[in-house]
Amino acid sequence: MKRCADVVIIGAGVTGAALAYELAKRGIRDVVILERRFPCSGATGRCGGGIRQQFTTPHNIRLAMESVKRYETLSEELGVDIEFIQGGYLILAETEEEREAQRKAVALQNELGLPSRLLSPEEALDVLPLLDASTITGATYCPTDGHANPFRVVEGFLAQARRMGVMVEKFTAVTGLVVERGRIVRVHTSSGKISPGAVVNAAGAWSVEIARMAGVELPNVPVRHEIAITEPVEFFMDVMVISIHNGIYFSQTKEGQIIGGIGFPDEKPGYVISSSLRFLRVYARELTRYVPALGQLAVLRQWAGLYDVTPDAQPVLGPTPGVENFIQANGYSGHGFMIAPAVAKHLADYIEKGIRSEILEKLSIERFKEEIRGEAFVVG
Amino acid sequence: MRIEQHPILEFRRGRRITFTFDGRPIEAYEGETIAAALHAAGVRVLSRTRSGAPRGLFCAIGKCSSCLMTVDGIPNVKTCVTPVREGMVVQSQRGPGRLNPDFRPREREVRELRAEAVVVGAGPAGLAATRVLLRHGIKPIVFDENPHLGGQLIKQTHKFFGSRAERAGVRGFSIAEELLSEVEGEAEVLRQARVLGLYFEDGKRVLAVAHTDRLLLVEAEEIIVATGAEERFLLFPGNHLPGVYGAGAVQTLMNVYGVVPGKRALMVGAGNVGLIVSYQLLQAGVEVEAVVEAMPEIGGYHVHAAKIRRLGIPILTRHTVVRALGGERVEGAVIAQVDEKLSPIPGTEREVSVDLVCLATGLNPSTRLLEQAGARMAYVPELGGRVPLHTPHMETTLPGIYVAGDCAGIGEASTAMLEGELAALSLLSRRGLELGGEMEATRKSLEKLRLGPFGARPRAGKEKVFALMKGGSGG
Ligand SMILES: Cc1cc2nc3c(=O)[nH]c(=O)nc-3n(C[C@H](O)[C@H](O)[C@H](O)COP(=O)(O)OP(=O)(O)OC[C@H]3O[C@@H](n4cnc5c(N)ncnc54)[C@H](O)[C@@H]3O)c2cc1C
Ligand SMILES: Cc1cc2nc3c(=O)[nH]c(=O)nc-3n(C[C@H](O)[C@H](O)[C@H](O)COP(=O)(O)OP(=O)(O)OC[C@H]3O[C@@H](n4cnc5c(N)ncnc54)[C@H](O)[C@@H]3O)c2cc1C
Ligand code: FES
Repeated sequence: MKRCADVVIIGAGVTGAALAYELAKRGIRDVVILERRFPCSGATGRCGGGIRQQFTTPHNIRLAMESVKRYETLSEELGVDIEFIQGGYLILAETEEEREAQRKAVALQNELGLPSRLLSPEEALDVLPLLDASTITGATYCPTDGHANPFRVVEGFLAQARRMGVMVEKFTAVTGLVVERGRIVRVHTSSGKISPGAVVNAAGAWSVEIARMAGVELPNVPVRHEIAITEPVEFFMDVMVISIHNGIYFSQTKEGQIIGGIGFPDEKPGYVISSSLRFLRVYARELTRYVPALGQLAVLRQWAGLYDVTPDAQPVLGPTPGVENFIQANGYSGHGFMIAPAVAKHLADYIEKGIRSEILEKLSIERFKEEIRGEAFVVG
Repeated sequence: MRIEQHPILEFRRGRRITFTFDGRPIEAYEGETIAAALHAAGVRVLSRTRSGAPRGLFCAIGKCSSCLMTVDGIPNVKTCVTPVREGMVVQSQRGPGRLNPDFRPREREVRELRAEAVVVGAGPAGLAATRVLLRHGIKPIVFDENPHLGGQLIKQTHKFFGSRAERAGVRGFSIAEELLSEVEGEAEVLRQARVLGLYFEDGKRVLAVAHTDRLLLVEAEEIIVATGAEERFLLFPGNHLPGVYGAGAVQTLMNVYGVVPGKRALMVGAGNVGLIVSYQLLQAGVEVEAVVEAMPEIGGYHVHAAKIRRLGIPILTRHTVVRALGGERVEGAVIAQVDEKLSPIPGTEREVSVDLVCLATGLNPSTRLLEQAGARMAYVPELGGRVPLHTPHMETTLPGIYVAGDCAGIGEASTAMLEGELAALSLLSRRGLELGGEMEATRKSLEKLRLGPFGARPRAGKEKVFALMKGGSGG
């Protein structure tokens, strides 16, 4: 392993991979990614791959819109088919209150230039003919949302980054950070020490532990989320569906499998990622309630991963007061895959030119001192 | 074609019924699986991949997904384990099947029950374990996904040997019948009951079991897992062609359903399975071109080898199958000599005229259930692949969960039975029964069985497993 590097990135999930690529593209190539296990072993390789822009806070909407622009051309740019299917997101509502929340959300989204719109149950049926429209009071739809294969995305970013000189150190865990005079001067790992220019904390649900090594407290908590995949069937839905009523999400992969999950509000924070029978039963029930025809399919696998959840369900991005070369890139609260390309751009602007964009200002760790107004649609 | 005359087996066939395959009526017998009935009617190509390549039966035990078809409008049905019914509508697929848009899920019956103990798998290991539990007053529930109980045993027409003294000379299927008669009626034994998962919910262990059309949720503190093994595949051009089968599938077709698997076979692998199945093919009236074996030595017992050699079948060591020929199904195969590195030697290729290539190239332990439950696993090549770590008394890293038979490392029916007994005794002693003597005796018998030259590999494998178990590590 190198003795020093301009930028040390902790974590080879989509965040670390996208940032390494973005930096290398701009000529910052003395970059090392330290990964405790292997690329995609964290939340990224366990996620649903959903890419949506229909959020309720301006920052989440903006980041997602920027990201979608990147995802649209990424296959070509990286030379890897990332299996981006831009079939839109259909967001289901079942009550009048949910409908009201959707009206507000769409108004804000339209204001920011997002082509999302409200649909009646009948109109939702046009988007997804196999939907049981009697289950909903309405939906919203944004045709430019979509989904992609997270393994392909990370593989593409890392291959290009490596080609330009970035080093990816697998099975190398960060074990300590030495802070002197307000800077991280050394990173201790399971296979030696390294002196960093800047250190990026992209360790997903373990970012709290990394931050603590530098004496920084993050408000993030790890929360298990479960997910399952079925056997493949002939492609019939390019739209990704989520419901703000119960938090279910599902889409069809390019191979034809239905991948999706559902969250539980009573899930206790912690690092356990075992699979539960409760999940399987609730997910199957809700999935077939919305799309009864899916009852024909057998579940092939179920697994779980960790959301890295902040008090306002928005990420923690940018520099850390008190430790000047320590950059946060975590706290995605369940939607880090979709915004990774945009986050990489903002962070690279900061690392390269010292520019702190409005987004970085607003989503800085410092915000937790103030009153919190959070993201309302926390689904996949 | 169905076997009408067999030197050992008698096929008791069910009622005659008719179903349709791609619109064409097919005659079958009740009790047959869809794939077996189609096979008997001469249908080899069951479905096609997206690119149009033909797909047929391969494992016949529901493990490989090579036989998926659309049945009564439901896509991706495993036809090798689905029984035929009068009037069924069976269709081939191209790529993954199509959803039936009009499908509406029925309310499924969900039954919650508590079991004194659970045994998963009714092969020799599971049945032997059940017998010991019964003897000590515990009535377990036994689940097996197969419509026929007895595991691998029901396909064995030969007289077993190398097994325990009292079983020597008994034919495999008879051993199964004997074991079954001792446990059925006493323990609750459910067939077509697939254990899908083992969960820890609210501090309890719960098994999810798909039993025909019901979902059973079975709470049990102690579980013996005896799920057996599944066949290994071999890589060569043409291996996807209908007519390339696992040896187990050929046995199932011939000896369970009485269906002729082909006219002339090439057997790949001269271990016991390859040798015995070659003999069974002859019993079913199928010619055997040759047995090829990549290693310099025959892997199986020499009596089995001698038996088929006497019947004029060459056993070619240092030979392998290079490719299977044919467009829609196997029409021939190319075999060749191999060098020390097991690579084919150019110039030694030879075409053989066969319509059946039978792979007997080894088994992998079926360990999905234990992996899913969170048991620690390790890769131990001597035992056939990834196996759950366990103590010499068959307890896994999950206290109260035991493992026995082929899923704890590929062995034989005799060792499987002893491991089953040992697992049951461990379970009993966990409950406080004083069984030290009996346990030691069983463990000793097991050790003795592994003393011979054929026992060296599994013995070494088991030593590795026990050491890893003690050290607390593993993959
Ligand atoms: C079930 C599920 C479904 C989801 N669905 C979606 C979705 O549809 N759309 C979406 O946008 N998001 C989704 N998410 C969220 C998304 O997966 C995450 O926000 C995103 O993957 C985070 O990426 P990351 O690179 O920041 O973190 P991770 O992918 O978790 O990567 C962090 C890496 O850091 C490594 N690491 C940890 N500690 C150390 C250490 N000490 N030293 C070195 N390396 C270390 C880990 O091994 C890991 O590889 C989902 C998440 C889950 C769990
Ligand atoms: C051709 C051949 C010849 C052989 N000859 C001999 C011989 O001469 N002497 C000898 O000692 N041994 C012989 N054997 C080996 C012997 O048959 C096996 O070692 C033995 O059957 C292993 O027993 P088992 O109980 O572990 O597994 P199996 O017999 O494979 O039984 C496992 C059972 O578990 C069930 N199952 C699996 N998963 C699930 C699930 N999730 N839910 C419910 N049920 C499940 C299966 O349906 C199956 O019935 C031979 C094997 C073959 C193939
Ligand atoms: S699953 Fe049916 S042949 Fe293997």
